[in-house]
Amino acid sequence: MSLAFVVARKEIRDHARDPRSLWSSAMMALMGPAVVLLVSLSDRAPGQNGARVLLGTLSVFALVSAFAGAIDIAMDSTAGERERRSLLPLLLNPIPRSDVIVGKWIAVTAYALGALALNSLGVVAVLAWAAPLLLASRAQLIVVWVVLGLVPLAALGAAVNLFVAVLCRTTKEAHTALRFLVFLPMLVGMFLVFFPSWTGRAWFLLPIVGQQTLIALEPSAPVVQGAILAIVTLVSSVLPLVAASRVLNRDDILSA
Amino acid sequence: MIDVRQLRKRFGSVTAVSDVSFTAPNGRITGILGENGAGKTTTLALICGLLRPDGGSIQVGPGDHTPLARRRRVGALLDHKELYDRLTVRENIAYFGRLHGISPPDLHTRVQGVVSQLGLDRIADRRLAGFSQGERMKVALGRAIVHAPGHLLLDEPTNGLDIPSVHGLRGVLRRMRDQGACILFSSHVLDEVRALCDNVVVMSHGRVVARGSAAEICRQTECPTLEGAFLALTGREVIPS
Repeated sequence: MSLAFVVARKEIRDHARDPRSLWSSAMMALMGPAVVLLVSLSDRAPGQNGARVLLGTLSVFALVSAFAGAIDIAMDSTAGERERRSLLPLLLNPIPRSDVIVGKWIAVTAYALGALALNSLGVVAVLAWAAPLLLASRAQLIVVWVVLGLVPLAALGAAVNLFVAVLCRTTKEAHTALRFLVFLPMLVGMFLVFFPSWTGRAWFLLPIVGQQTLIALEPSAPVVQGAILAIVTLVSSVLPLVAASRVLNRDDILSA
Repeated sequence: MIDVRQLRKRFGSVTAVSDVSFTAPNGRITGILGENGAGKTTTLALICGLLRPDGGSIQVGPGDHTPLARRRRVGALLDHKELYDRLTVRENIAYFGRLHGISPPDLHTRVQGVVSQLGLDRIADRRLAGFSQGERMKVALGRAIVHAPGHLLLDEPTNGLDIPSVHGLRGVLRRMRDQGACILFSSHVLDEVRALCDNVVVMSHGRVVARGSAAEICRQTECPTLEGAFLALTGREVIPS
């Protein structure tokens, strides 16, 4: 496991020197707050009822930011390594391939959490400006939602992105595949914003659906539901990580 | 010492390596000579534990012979040898040192030792983007030997290198051999094998077709040159000059 941290440390340092990936993550993180800010500046600024839609829209972008905030880093550290032909030398080291994946996952999750933090700051800033009453009444809910909903989702998103990217031989291929994946939280989130009656109890344990359901609960902060969802989401991360490790163990992973 | 017995590997319907057996002793440079597609790279990847063999045994030094244990004892520079351009020379080498479990106090000394040995002092703190092919090869070699392996595996390491870089690399390999390392070296360049290797294993179509010193192989095939011997062993027609 300590070797996984060696990999994580290298990936974090390596990508901290990649301004394009960092800018891409930052722009994706701030896209939601920027869009909602523009809507609130327009003549059709929402009233109290519309404020719920505003919060819902912000939440969808936050879902995307948490799930795919470090998508470029996931691509570069897996498909990019295959494409650059630096994966094989890495695998020549005496490190279990599961540790390679876990190390990369730690790094991608760290960057996804950075993107989520940026997005959360943007959400709070936009709400404080456009709907201060809504922010005041939902402050506790937003904190629970971010900590118990979105932080674990960042870990799951990092795992899923890594799994998809490690299947790809080039970053271009990974980019195409992951672009479809980004639509998943966006479509689910938008659907639940406009059709909230679909968020029945049975769906609550499903990651992404659960996160969007959590923010729709009111007025009190749903700590218990949040904690259950956090555990389910974190446990769900294991499956793509195991699958990604298996991909790394395949013979054809060595062919560029 | 590297000892390979009846090694077999198939990729789907293609037999890449079939009943390959040879021994590469310590303190010697053993060359694997073969045409493109002869199975040289696959054999090295199997020895490193990168690929799982379908049959046969691989022994790298004494003790445990699991793929992970073999990778601890081997330094390898295979076909893919790219580096991390956003890291410096030292950081690239230190990363692999850490993955080999070298402790932090020891790591600094090891990295500095490799940097000095390969003449990389001047560029040691520069990031790799923009490095020449020769400089990159030296850094890749530095990464492969930072844990002071007793066994070094190289797959056509001089491809794309200029003459001074080839000369420098040969010097490093000879020094390591003289210190007792077992060096296994694949190439399809006869001059390279002649200049460096103490023993030669000739492979063709995934099989070993001859082994011994260059002189022994010439004697076995009754050819005056290694080139002629190689062509005869691989079933090619020798065109008189």
